[in-house]
Amino acid sequence: MFVFFYKEWIKTRYYFMAAFVLSLFFCIYCMLNINRVIELKGAAHVWEVMLQRDAIFIQSLRFVPLLLGILAGIVQFAPEMQQKRIKLTLHLPCSAEQSVGSMLLFGAGLLAMLSAVNLLLLYTFLQRHFASELVRHILLTGAVWYVAGLTAYFFSAWICLEPTWKRRLVNLLVATGALRVFFISETPEAYNTFLPILTVYTLLTAALPFWSVSRFKEGQQD
Amino acid sequence: MITCKNLTHYYGKRLIYENLSFNVPKGRILGLLGKNGTGKTTTINILSGFLKPHAGECRIFGEEVQNMKPITRRNIGLLIEGHVQYTFMNMEQIERFYAPFYPKWNRDVYYELLKKLNVASHQRISRMSCGQRSQVALGLILAQNPELLILDDFSLGLDPGYRRLFIDYLRDFAKSEGKTVFLTSHIIQDMERLIDDCIIMDYGRILTQQPVNNLLEKYFQYTFTLTQGSLPYFPELFYPTISRGRVEAGSFLRPEEMRGMLDAHSVPYTGLKWTHVSLEDVFIGLTGKY
Amino acid sequence: MKTLGKILFIFTLIVLLLWLLPWTYRFLTATSSNSPFILYSGIINDFAIRDRTDGEASYSDLSGNRYTEAQFDSILPLFYCRQLMAEERLPDTLHGIAITPRSIQTGNFIFRMTPLTVNARTVPLYPLLESMSGRVDLEMPDDVFRMNGRMEFIDMASNSIKEGKSRQFTDMLMKKGFIFPARLVAGNPTVKKDYDEGYLMVDHRGQLFHVKQVKSRPYVRPIEVPTGVDIAHVFVTEFRDRRSLAFLTDSEQRFWVLRTGTYEFVQVDIPPFDPKTMSLTIIGNMFDWTLIVDNGHKKAFYAVSASDCKSLGTMERAATAPSPAREIGKYVFPVRIEFSSTLNKDIFPKLTLGKW
Repeated sequence: MFVFFYKEWIKTRYYFMAAFVLSLFFCIYCMLNINRVIELKGAAHVWEVMLQRDAIFIQSLRFVPLLLGILAGIVQFAPEMQQKRIKLTLHLPCSAEQSVGSMLLFGAGLLAMLSAVNLLLLYTFLQRHFASELVRHILLTGAVWYVAGLTAYFFSAWICLEPTWKRRLVNLLVATGALRVFFISETPEAYNTFLPILTVYTLLTAALPFWSVSRFKEGQQD
Repeated sequence: MITCKNLTHYYGKRLIYENLSFNVPKGRILGLLGKNGTGKTTTINILSGFLKPHAGECRIFGEEVQNMKPITRRNIGLLIEGHVQYTFMNMEQIERFYAPFYPKWNRDVYYELLKKLNVASHQRISRMSCGQRSQVALGLILAQNPELLILDDFSLGLDPGYRRLFIDYLRDFAKSEGKTVFLTSHIIQDMERLIDDCIIMDYGRILTQQPVNNLLEKYFQYTFTLTQGSLPYFPELFYPTISRGRVEAGSFLRPEEMRGMLDAHSVPYTGLKWTHVSLEDVFIGLTGKY
Repeated sequence: MKTLGKILFIFTLIVLLLWLLPWTYRFLTATSSNSPFILYSGIINDFAIRDRTDGEASYSDLSGNRYTEAQFDSILPLFYCRQLMAEERLPDTLHGIAITPRSIQTGNFIFRMTPLTVNARTVPLYPLLESMSGRVDLEMPDDVFRMNGRMEFIDMASNSIKEGKSRQFTDMLMKKGFIFPARLVAGNPTVKKDYDEGYLMVDHRGQLFHVKQVKSRPYVRPIEVPTGVDIAHVFVTEFRDRRSLAFLTDSEQRFWVLRTGTYEFVQVDIPPFDPKTMSLTIIGNMFDWTLIVDNGHKKAFYAVSASDCKSLGTMERAATAPSPAREIGKYVFPVRIEFSSTLNKDIFPKLTLGKW
């Protein structure tokens, strides 16, 4: 398993480093923005706006995990499909579940770590300025975006690994529709009750890339 | 080592071949020769488990390839068409990646082969030339020390020097260690130096499978001149060409059989000559120029 | 894994189709519906109706009498008082009581609640305004309170707890018999109102309290609730006329008015009302209120007297008849999935069979 992590790291390290920096950049941007409003209008104003209107001040982070997830899938699995390089992986003396599973675990693990760092950073900042109820309010609203990012990653891997273009297009449509569900509402905490189900769904979407791989092994082509 | 029985495959509705059967015995180097589109890569894909044939089955070491135990693949070295490798790694990284998978890993073989190349060890494979890449791919397979090597069109994109290097190294390795090799190529010239047996494929079927030496011995290239009339159809003559009465054709008939056949059909001819020819000429003779 | 992937794909595909196809159909066949404006008139003791069909306004009442626009204004003098003033047609007295534009405006109010606002997720932090600052305009405080084991004030600028104030209010609450934690906290923490009545809170036992801040000191008043009333929802009114302190509903879906000063409960004479699923609009004046209750299928109009909340009249209207497209849609898409709801802003999958 770790040897796959080694290969994936060599392949994707620049991307993940850039993704890490980019996500931190957006987090820091949000924090600076909150600081600026506090300085200009006072902390009380920010509290009131959050309590009375649907403002959470980290809205600019909304699509960042989604984008990073999609790109992670492409960066990791598009090179495997170039010249059908995945054959090398599948020919290794270990099962496809093990090899592809390790690759997915690597990507999903790094994305999860990146999300955790983001949320932890935001938490550290927010709890200095806001009551725990508000911090919870903000982070619960943001949590669904990070879950969406992970789902997007598995979808992206699924689409990249799919051997035929026709099917790839179908997959793309289904993935787009499913991801849309994560972004129906901008109302803070709108996903509170749905989030556990969505999280379970996300974990299940990890099975999709295996389906693509098995189609590849059957020799499906356009 | 390899047994394929009654393989039938279609792409969509297009039949690639039907009821194709062959065996690869242990310790032999077998070349699958055929023109483009005769199904060489299809066969390799079926053999390496990346294509489920429409019908029939393929066994390697007695195991059905689609459901092969992962561990069995330790003993099968696979070279993918175009010497595909993980180009984002450098020589050292890729060796480090592969080594843990193979208990018999021999890194010396790998580095010995790569010493011949003029590349820095930290140079990424994507920056190497096609020839250099082919050596890396070969080195990795040899270091793996498998019992069976499957090579898909190894000559693709290689200049004659690298091709020769590749062939010599491969043959030396296979023969000294008693390995079995199954390979395809569309360049026949070098094959004589390398392969023991050959399978020559035409569209949809196998024309012949036999040891190369046998083939070269049994195959004759005949020339003669028709004194009048035209040449009747003989299934024993492959792709006869006639220009200004001069006939050129290949055949497995021995000269006396040839003469007997022509006489039996009262074909008026003079100047019958025969020669042994190179594998490439045999191949063209058997499959035609088109 | 491969089979799981396949199943998941089919599951996702089905969910998406059940969601997006009906949605698209609805989006394409959507028609605008206009609903008539209906208000109780104390002049004719009947519901006055203004309808708009083909851009042409028509004026009538429930009994079928027709009116001109000017007549319509004058049977609803308190609602159209500005129009009547402009035309110098505003009467001096109504029902034997002298009226002035000022007294009319003080007595008028519009109150609206919808399931969306009632069911909204709110952050349980509440600003407590100063009710008697001596200034004309209300001001937002620099702190908010939370109701955990005590009434805890948090200074917003420093995000730290104000121990003194927290103790002061908690002590007062406990002295008046408040049992923590609070079950319900209701108020209008805004400066866009004429005065501040603080919060109404229901304590752990179900006891109702009025809590406000008067000259920086806690004002806590336990309120006696009629026996058998278990308070479910509280809406602090803070209308200009200062006659009511709040509207309340109880667990039996009765609708109550809590009077200012006397803390007297008056039951409003309307059928059971559930704020979680029905929306309510009250258009009130000094004499009578029109309550418009919409449960999604029908709209009911209730007129009650402003003084004792007894019924003056009732009318019901089916919500606009479903369009043919919708009727067809019911059969084309017998099963649908929706993620959003008209009752709350939560996103949660809901499977609907048959009805739209």
